[in-house]
Amino acid sequence: MSEEEKFDAIIIGAGPAGIACAYLLAKAQKNVLVIERGVTAGSKNVTGGRLYTYALEMVEEGLTKAAEEALERKVVREQITMMDGDKAITIDYHDLGFKGDVPQSYTILRAVFDEWFAAQAEAEGAMIATGIRVDDVIEKDGRIIGVKAGEDEMYADVVIAADGVNSLIAQKAGLRGELPAHSVGVGVKEIIELPPKTIEERFNVGPDEGVAKLSLGCTEGIQGGGFLYTNKDSVSLGVVFSPEQAAKNGKKIHEIFQDYKMSPAIYPLIGDGTTTEYGAHLVPEEGLRGVPKKLFRDGLVLVGDAAGFGINMGYIIRGIDLALVSGAAAAKAIIAAEKVSDVGPAYMKELDNMRLIPNMKAVAGFPDILTLPRIFSTYPKMANDVFQYLFTVDGKVPTKMTKALMGIVKKHVTMGQLMGDAWRGLKSI
Amino acid sequence: MANIVVCYKWVLDEQDIKVNPGNLALDTSRAKSKISDYDRNAIEEAVLLNEKDGHKVTGLTFGVAGAKQSLKDALSRGPAEAVWVNDPVAAEADAFVTANVLAGALKKVGNYDVIICGEGAADTYAQQVGPRLAAVLGIPAITFVNQMSIEGDKVVATRKLGDCTETVTASFPVVVTVLPEINKPRIPSLKQVLGASKKPVTEIKLADLGLNPDDLKRKTTVKSLKGYAMTRKNVIYKDGSTAEKVAKLVAELAKEGAL
Ligand SMILES: Cc1cc2nc3c(=O)[nH]c(=O)nc-3n(C[C@H](O)[C@H](O)[C@H](O)COP(=O)(O)OP(=O)(O)OC[C@H]3O[C@@H](n4cnc5c(N)ncnc54)[C@H](O)[C@@H]3O)c2cc1C
Repeated sequence: MSEEEKFDAIIIGAGPAGIACAYLLAKAQKNVLVIERGVTAGSKNVTGGRLYTYALEMVEEGLTKAAEEALERKVVREQITMMDGDKAITIDYHDLGFKGDVPQSYTILRAVFDEWFAAQAEAEGAMIATGIRVDDVIEKDGRIIGVKAGEDEMYADVVIAADGVNSLIAQKAGLRGELPAHSVGVGVKEIIELPPKTIEERFNVGPDEGVAKLSLGCTEGIQGGGFLYTNKDSVSLGVVFSPEQAAKNGKKIHEIFQDYKMSPAIYPLIGDGTTTEYGAHLVPEEGLRGVPKKLFRDGLVLVGDAAGFGINMGYIIRGIDLALVSGAAAAKAIIAAEKVSDVGPAYMKELDNMRLIPNMKAVAGFPDILTLPRIFSTYPKMANDVFQYLFTVDGKVPTKMTKALMGIVKKHVTMGQLMGDAWRGLKSI
Repeated sequence: MANIVVCYKWVLDEQDIKVNPGNLALDTSRAKSKISDYDRNAIEEAVLLNEKDGHKVTGLTFGVAGAKQSLKDALSRGPAEAVWVNDPVAAEADAFVTANVLAGALKKVGNYDVIICGEGAADTYAQQVGPRLAAVLGIPAITFVNQMSIEGDKVVATRKLGDCTETVTASFPVVVTVLPEINKPRIPSLKQVLGASKKPVTEIKLADLGLNPDDLKRKTTVKSLKGYAMTRKNVIYKDGSTAEKVAKLVAELAKEGAL
C-alpha cells in the first residue's frame, strides 16, 4: 500500500455526522477522505426538518450564524395536533424567546444544509468523493484498516461509519446485525412549495419564523405520527410509523400519508402548494436500547444514525443534533489519540463529556409510552370527544359534566386500561 | 499516438429547472450544473480510444467561473488533463462565439489531432459547435458518429444517417461529433475521483486568446425563453359501463382526428 493512498481518516457518508467529523478533522490538519454514495452531499437524505442549534455550536462556536443561509426558519411555534376524522385539537405553544441570539432550532432542508456543510469541510481541506458507494471494510489482524468501493481499496488509520440508519458498515464490521422491523419507523415525506407570504399568513408567523407541528391520531391506530415543518418557501410534510404494525393491518405507506395530507387539519395549510420532492427513509425508534453494545473496534467508530443515536419522544424527534455531536466527538477522539487503539475508548468518553449518552439515558423509557397502542388512536379520539362535549351548544339540556366525562372515558377505555397506561407512562418518563 | 481533445459544456441540470405555471418563466435559481449528457459520451469515447491504443486525452471547456466545479468531474472520467477558458461571456455565448473561443484555445494549446464533441448540448441542442469549430480551424468535420477508431494518422468513423450508415475516413486534424448511442459513459470509481484532483488543469483567460471583439459577439439573439406547457383537456368519462366509456373515448378521439 503506498503512503499516498493512506488517509488519517476515511469517513463513510456525508450526512451531518460524517461532515461534522470531517470538518473538525480537516481543521486539525488531518488528511481526511469522505466517501458519499449520493451525487452530492444531501441529495439522498430524507429528514423531517428541524435542527437544534446547540449541536452546531458544539461542533464549533458560531457555526449556527455561519450556517444561516443554509437554514430555513427559526421555530417559534411548537404545535401538537390530536386528530380524529374531521375533528382536531391543536395545542400551539408560541415562544419568541426561542428566536434568541442563537435561535434554539431551525427548520432545515437537507439537500441545502448538507451541501453547505460539505462545502465548509472541503474548504478546510477535506476531500469529498461523491457518487461512490462503499461496499465493505478491509480488515487485517483484527483491525479495520480501510474500505472497499467497487474494485478500489483505500486505507486509513481510522474508518468512521457515518452511513446512517441500517449501517452496512456497522454490519460488515460485526458491530450490529440486521435491524429488526420493530426497532425502526418508516418515514415518508413530501416537500410542498408555497410562497413565503402564504406560509406566513397560514401559520401566523413572521418572515424568518417557522412552525414545527407533530400530529397524533393520523396513522389509523398504527404506532406513529405526522409532522409538518415550515421552510422558507415550502412545507415539509410527512408521517413516521411502525412498518411492522402497518404490515399487520394491511395498510399501505402512501395511503396513510395521503390520508394525513388530505385531513381537514392539514389540507388547508398546504392547499395550492406544489409537491416538488417525495422521499422515504428509516428512523431509529428504540432510543438508547437501539444503540449497539459496542460503538467501536480497533480502527473503526460508529457515529450518528449508524450508532443508533436517535430520540423519539412522540412530540420531539431528534437525530440530526445527535449526529452532529457524535461526529464531533469522534473527531475530538481521533485528534487527541496517540495511537489508533486509543480512539474508541476516547470516543466513548467524549460522548459522555458532550452529554450525548446522558441525554439519551434521560429519555430511555420513552419508547415504552410510544408502544402503548392507545396513544395513536384511542386517546386522541377520547380527547376530541371531550372537546366536542365542551363546545357543543344545541339547545338540548347538557349532561352534567362529571357524568359526561366519565361517559366519554368509558366509551373508549376501561378503568383498568386507563390506570395501567397512566402507570406505564409515568414509569417510562 | 494522437492528441485527442474532447470538448464539453457545463450546463444546468434540466431536472432542477422549474417552470412557473402562470407565465411559463423558467426558474433556474435552484438548478445544479452537470456535464452535458452527450458530452459525457464524447469524453468516454476519447478515453476508450486511449485505453485501446494509447493516446493523450485533454478535456476542454469554455465556461463561467462556476464551471471550475466541472473539472474534477471531467477528469475523473479519464482525460489526463483539462483546459478551462474561464469567462462570464460563456453564459451568453451562442455556437458562433463558443466555436471561436474553443478554436482560439486549441490554437493556443497547439497540439490537436482529433477533436471530439457531443452531437449537441443538453441545454440548447443546436448541433453547431462541432461543425463551426471545424470551419474556424479549416479542418474536416465528421458528424452523427456512432462508431469510430483511429488508424495511424486517420480517423475512421461510421455516421448514422436515418436508416443507413456511411463510413468515412479523414486525416488529422479532424473534428468528430458523436451520438449518445456510441457508448455508455462510465461511472467514475473512487480512485478515479481521487486521481482527478491531482491532474493538471490549465486556466486560460479569454483575453489571452487574441480574439477580435467581433468573434465574441453572438450571431443569434434570444428573444424569449419559456417553459412549454402541454394544454390538456382534462376530460374524464365517468358514466356508464367500461365498454361505454371506451366507446365514448374512441368516438371523441376520432372526432378530434387523433385516430
Ligand atoms: C422522516 C424523518 C424525519 C426526521 N425528522 C428529524 C427532525 O426533525 N430532527 C432531527 O434532528 N432528526 C430527524 N430525523 C432523524 C435524522 O434525519 C437522522 O438522525 C440524521 O439524518 C442522521 O444523520 P447521519 O449523518 O447519521 O446519517 P444520514 O443523514 O442518514 O447520512 C448518511 C449518509 O451516508 C451515505 N451512505 C450510506 N451508505 C453509504 C455507503 N455504503 N457508501 C457511501 N455513502 C453511504 C448516505 O447517502 C447519506 O448521505 C428524521 C428522520 C426521518 C427519516
